Amino acid sequence: MRKLLLCTALVCLWSSTVVAQARSVANPTAEMKLKVGDAAPDFTLHDQNGKTVKLSDFRGKENVALAFYVFAFTGG
Amino acid sequence: MKAFQQNLDKLKATDTQVLGVSMDSTPANHAWAEQIGVTFPLLSDWGGDVTKQYGVYNEQYKAARRATFLIDKQGKIAQIHVDRTALDPTNIVEVCQRRKLKE
Repeated sequence: MRKLLLCTALVCLWSSTVVAQARSVANPTAEMKLKVGDAAPDFTLHDQNGKTVKLSDFRGKENVALAFYVFAFTGG
Repeated sequence: MKAFQQNLDKLKATDTQVLGVSMDSTPANHAWAEQIGVTFPLLSDWGGDVTKQYGVYNEQYKAARRATFLIDKQGKIAQIHVDRTALDPTNIVEVCQRRKLKE
């Protein structure tokens, strides 16, 4: 009986680690600084033609898909 | 960014503006946009202030992580996709289409 209990406890422990690992893989945004529902920090940057683009200028008019990429001249 | 360009009309139809951002210089972005035929703004975050503010700065590569933030008309973050999931904008397109239907 004691062995059975020990085995059950071990299986529980093992499965909880597996679930925890699976969760962190399935949710890579978990460690993000910003969360869904947060106000997007405003910024003013220049586009490829030197034109000024301000995030808050789109407010009330359009959604913005803000796509960060690693380097120009690479895939993605 | 090519994948976003291919979906640009669909996104425009849902009142969604695409903005690319990286820590490249303006001339580099200009040359790259011409090369791959990107017509939406590619913003130069030279120095990485905005990249760090959004929490997507990669210390190892001294560059931004691949990440897409969908920001709604109220200026709130509606969706976050990072790394591999950020490569394909299909999900963003679908979410925008659903939101448009609800309006």
